[in-house]
Amino acid sequence: MRNSIADRIAEFLKDFPPFNKLSFDDLVKIASEIRVVSLEKNQTLFKTNDQLHSSFYVVASGMVNLTVIADAEETLLHKCIPGDIFGLRPFFARNNYMMTAKAREESLIYAIPISIFRPYVAQNQEVLNFLLESFAATSRNPLDQDLRGNLVSDSISLPEQKQEMQFFQSLNYNKNPLRVSSAQLTQEVATLMTENLFDSAIVVQNSFPVGILTDSDLRSKIATGRYPISIAVDRVMSAPVITVGENISLAEAQLLMLKNNVSHLCVTADGTDRSEIKGVISQHDLIVAQASNPGVLVKEIKRSHSAKELRQVREKMGEIIRSSMSKNIPLTHICNIASEINMALIKRSVELSILDLGSPPARFAWMSIGSQGRREQLLYTDQDSFLVFEDVAPEKYREVKDYFLKLAKRAVGVLEKIGYAPCPNGHVAGNPQWCHSLSDWTKQFESWMNAPGEKSNQISSIFFDFEIAFGEPKMEEILLDAVFRNNRKNSFFDYLGNDALRKPAALSFFKKFQLEEEGEFRDKFDIKLRAIMPLIDGARLISIAQGIRGITNTHMRFKQLAMSDTKHSETYLSCAEAFLLLSKYRTLEGLKNDNDGRYVNLDELSRTDREKIKFALEPMEELHEVIKSKFRLTQFS
Amino acid sequence: MLDWLKNINREYPGFWKQYLQKFEHRSKRFVIISLENSGQNPDKDVIFSIGAIAVTENSVSIGDEFEVIIPQYKYLHDNDISNEFIIESKLEKQSEPEAIEAFIDYIGNAVLVGHRIHFDIDLINMALSKLQCGRLKNEALDIEIMHRKLNDLPEKPFPLDELLRHYKVPGTARISAADDAYSNALLFLKLKSKLGIN
Repeated sequence: MRNSIADRIAEFLKDFPPFNKLSFDDLVKIASEIRVVSLEKNQTLFKTNDQLHSSFYVVASGMVNLTVIADAEETLLHKCIPGDIFGLRPFFARNNYMMTAKAREESLIYAIPISIFRPYVAQNQEVLNFLLESFAATSRNPLDQDLRGNLVSDSISLPEQKQEMQFFQSLNYNKNPLRVSSAQLTQEVATLMTENLFDSAIVVQNSFPVGILTDSDLRSKIATGRYPISIAVDRVMSAPVITVGENISLAEAQLLMLKNNVSHLCVTADGTDRSEIKGVISQHDLIVAQASNPGVLVKEIKRSHSAKELRQVREKMGEIIRSSMSKNIPLTHICNIASEINMALIKRSVELSILDLGSPPARFAWMSIGSQGRREQLLYTDQDSFLVFEDVAPEKYREVKDYFLKLAKRAVGVLEKIGYAPCPNGHVAGNPQWCHSLSDWTKQFESWMNAPGEKSNQISSIFFDFEIAFGEPKMEEILLDAVFRNNRKNSFFDYLGNDALRKPAALSFFKKFQLEEEGEFRDKFDIKLRAIMPLIDGARLISIAQGIRGITNTHMRFKQLAMSDTKHSETYLSCAEAFLLLSKYRTLEGLKNDNDGRYVNLDELSRTDREKIKFALEPMEELHEVIKSKFRLTQFS
Repeated sequence: MLDWLKNINREYPGFWKQYLQKFEHRSKRFVIISLENSGQNPDKDVIFSIGAIAVTENSVSIGDEFEVIIPQYKYLHDNDISNEFIIESKLEKQSEPEAIEAFIDYIGNAVLVGHRIHFDIDLINMALSKLQCGRLKNEALDIEIMHRKLNDLPEKPFPLDELLRHYKVPGTARISAADDAYSNALLFLKLKSKLGIN
């Protein structure tokens, strides 16, 4: 008897590996043994240490998050989208699940019984290879888009992988510490430590740690003459030694050291002093772990040779941002780190393009504008940029411009591959309109400022937030000169001011949020347009008018304004705070949904969060008043 | 009661006796059914096809499925309706007595689930009475009523399409009774976990 539902499911499966390697009839046979499971949002399918199920799973619709828990912190391994397989562990291993599978949204899951699928695996080498690969995927980055569908899930058992996964939480420490027996003489131990350049030695009895001898013990007990150097080490060692488990996080190690007032922790297999010694963590390891992370990324960027490698670095940065946000590190710090990395990425993209095209025929500068230029880009928002090259002889102009256009297109392409979508308005250097010589750009800025809104209604104010990413710093200076030479023109500020005030209101007359009324984002709050943009625009307008150079960051602009324009300093300071808070909510939303976080779903926020946002919207009114009083705005111009 | 008295001496067909015996135990199996029929009046209308699929242990068992097409040649002829679509269908076709017998075998003592299931049960009971059998003894759950209960809604019709959208059941092309039964089954899984039925 024909089973039409099974046909449907086979039809679905045949598009995804490894099922595409099987014949349709086989798929129908498999499909007719499938059980369909429906998961509510946040429902758990299996969790770490659960007994193995008799099936593995394919996502039919919705999304399933695979996570591991290390140090009481959930780390996302993979987001399974429709067609992804997961839960392969029962194929290859007998022990319990090593991860947790939880529905991120309402999902349907096909459960395929292992006993049914195993014969096909045995008969078909390709299928077996795929499953093995998926199971033991050694890919460096489980979020890599290129491997989508190929890679899934059960790989956490591999130690290298683990290291990679918790790159930002876990510590590198000495895995091979000096072990001495308790009967050895202190002098011998000190000699061994000196020879191996270690500052500690673990005293072992029956292969379990009983104490630790460190530099400070030698200083306080031997060098002071309290004990002779020929004494047995167990008389002067610090005991008991503080032991910890293997996957300890930076923060936890720090806390333990402070709490116990020690400089070293002994790592053992199960975290107690009754198990095998795995290593020793010193204070120095903590310093290295703290200091080097973003630095390591920048170094990696400098060494990368392809967009793909850069992309992996950018994904890691996402992890840093995510973990920093959850640890409540101030947003300004996160922004600083993120913008350094962003700048390094842009720089490297341009460099890679130059490597491809040969050296440039003239000096040039690559300017980041918009959120990158303001150093506020935390999420994958779009890229905005323009390119300036030095003035060349008229007969060479064409050729030079062609080169830079090509270069810009290539660099924009690389950035796109990294994950920055090009600006929907075409504000990228690859656009012939925004790739000019220096004198053309000077003229362009002058005409924007002297006759705003004359030629095109849209002068993009984002062009006034530029920062050099690559090339000649002098050009940035010259452009800044051009901008501030003209900042006495009223018409320009009129224009910018009106532009800033024209944004739709964030709250309704009754102090309710104005939600989107239609379209894809219905009933969500456009935090970018209604809350963040007005602050950015206001900051830009006033700081350009006040002649504040060299600062493009909105937060910094407000801070600077508060100092220079003391009359309104309170307004500016509250705007600065509000800006940070709103950016934080946007970033959280963006991280949650993997998008630019522009539309915030207020229903998912707690009441206090909503009140905080409302509170942060208040300084906007005051800012508008300041703008109105400073500039003679003809509201309806 | 009267029915029972009336039928006490009646000799049922074999498959029906077997069916009755299955009710000694309570079932943990749910069978989601969906009929295609000519209308909802049991006296006049007929069943064109039956689709059914089982839910056990909180999941839909794709293998535990039933579908049949009943070419009601007589009804079509009497009502002057073209019978082409039934002839062209590639699915298995059975006469009504065979189909009903297979269906009764298939459902056993399971709890029946469907959207406005009372119409379906009336039609099946009618077909059964033509075979000298009694009425269905299975417990029945109506998806529409489950939805109303869950949300505390008044008596208001909720068409299947609306419910599928409301509970975000991914759309399959609902062409046959079996497709309908499958969609209903997914819907039932969601309602079931929300209502906490085991």
